[in-house]
Amino acid sequence: MKLNMRLNLQRQVDKCENCGAPLSAGHVYSREINGVTHYFCCSHCADEFEGSGHPSCC
Amino acid sequence: MRELVIIGYGAAGFAALIKANELGVKPTLVGEGPIGGTCVNVGCVPSKRMLRIGEVYSLGRRYCLRGCYPPFFESFQDKDRLVTELRKVKYEDVLSAYDVELVEGQARFVSPNGIKVGGRIIESKKFIVATGSSPHVPEVPGLKEVGFWTNVEALSPNKRIESLAVVGGRALALEFAQMYRRLGVEVVVLQRSPVLLPDWEPEISVEVRRVLEEEGVNVITGVRLKEVRKGEGKVVVTDVGEVEVDEILMATGRAPNVNLNLEAAKVALNERGGIKVDGELRTTNPNIFAAGDVIGGKMLEALAGKQGTVAAENALLNAHRNVDMFSVPQVVFTQPNLASVGLTEREASKAREVESRIVMMEDVAKARILGETKGFIKMIVGKEDRKILGVHMMGENAAEVINEAALALKMRASIYDFIDTVHVFPTMGESLRLAALSFLGDVKKMSCCV
Repeated sequence: MKLNMRLNLQRQVDKCENCGAPLSAGHVYSREINGVTHYFCCSHCADEFEGSGHPSCC
Repeated sequence: MRELVIIGYGAAGFAALIKANELGVKPTLVGEGPIGGTCVNVGCVPSKRMLRIGEVYSLGRRYCLRGCYPPFFESFQDKDRLVTELRKVKYEDVLSAYDVELVEGQARFVSPNGIKVGGRIIESKKFIVATGSSPHVPEVPGLKEVGFWTNVEALSPNKRIESLAVVGGRALALEFAQMYRRLGVEVVVLQRSPVLLPDWEPEISVEVRRVLEEEGVNVITGVRLKEVRKGEGKVVVTDVGEVEVDEILMATGRAPNVNLNLEAAKVALNERGGIKVDGELRTTNPNIFAAGDVIGGKMLEALAGKQGTVAAENALLNAHRNVDMFSVPQVVFTQPNLASVGLTEREASKAREVESRIVMMEDVAKARILGETKGFIKMIVGKEDRKILGVHMMGENAAEVINEAALALKMRASIYDFIDTVHVFPTMGESLRLAALSFLGDVKKMSCCV
């Protein structure tokens, strides 16, 4: 049978968890915050995200 | 009492056997199942052959044979021929060239210095446990009832499929996703983590997704499986909806094979469920050593072989050798290859100040010549001494290139060692030198051979 996807989501891309910018090899930065790895486009976004006190579940 | 018993006849077991013979010891080799273990039978050899077939047809489609896919079953038969050939040449024939007592059967410890195989008790001064690993499949309601594949079934399918859900997002999942996509199968990857390859450099995690998606592989990350049920096909129900496919491949990791009644030998397990060893591969029983996947660390064929050799030297000579884990490379054999050695930038920066540079493959002349410019190379160095701490790359033949980087790490080399070494032009290996040069200037503004 053909692949049948019935998913409640838009086409996913890896995005900065702070500003939503698409991530690429030239623009990706990861940081572990409260034991969870988060992905950002740059360290500034990581600082902002961490400073805003986002819980680890976000 | 015997001198040495090796339990397991895969990569680690064979390496231990060969080293034992070199040291003048005839070991007893105990194993069950096909000789050669996972790698040659259901691991590296068959999967890389299938990936190679996919590469050849992918190139063909790109240049002249649009719509041409490998013949499904014939491709697996080709792989079977290679496996049979390599198992014979590299294991069965090799075994006959060494002085060894082969005992086939399941081994269980009955005491700190004895095992039982069949009805027979075998005692030895030293043991090396090298029993490998098996697919780890998490409990998912309905999965067992509906049925699924692991790498074993996916390498020898009993039916032609049109669609496949790959559960997992690490090396094995990505290789099989590309392999089946290139056989003309519709593929969706369902990965629990927010990115593919979450333990790798983030640049690789995001770029491999792009590469797979460009080939038509559907990648869904941050998804959790809730249940599997039978529909027209097999329905995988997740927290974001469901997918229905012909088959489900569970690529959710591997578990060490530790069902050896280890308690009787006073051998403890580690937090990963593998056998606990010290740096010299000695278990909690000083006369028993362990090597390869059974330890539960990085499960790599070449590392298992090295550990088998080291375990034999330590068991027989008390040589106090260990394996330099810092320089152990690892590769995902997608096209382009993903390769890594040493520390990630995040790991390295925990201990010291570091610098990193990325050179895109479009700036590597050989990548352009090959027409394979996807990818990049990232080099991480100490800020003060500029010694190489890690190399991570996505690129054509990165699996070959990373060996030189591994040697550099082993020798604790710096960027200047790469720069001072003349590299052949044009080669993909030159990308290492370009990465080193990028710490001193803009490689986009350099002529071919600087």
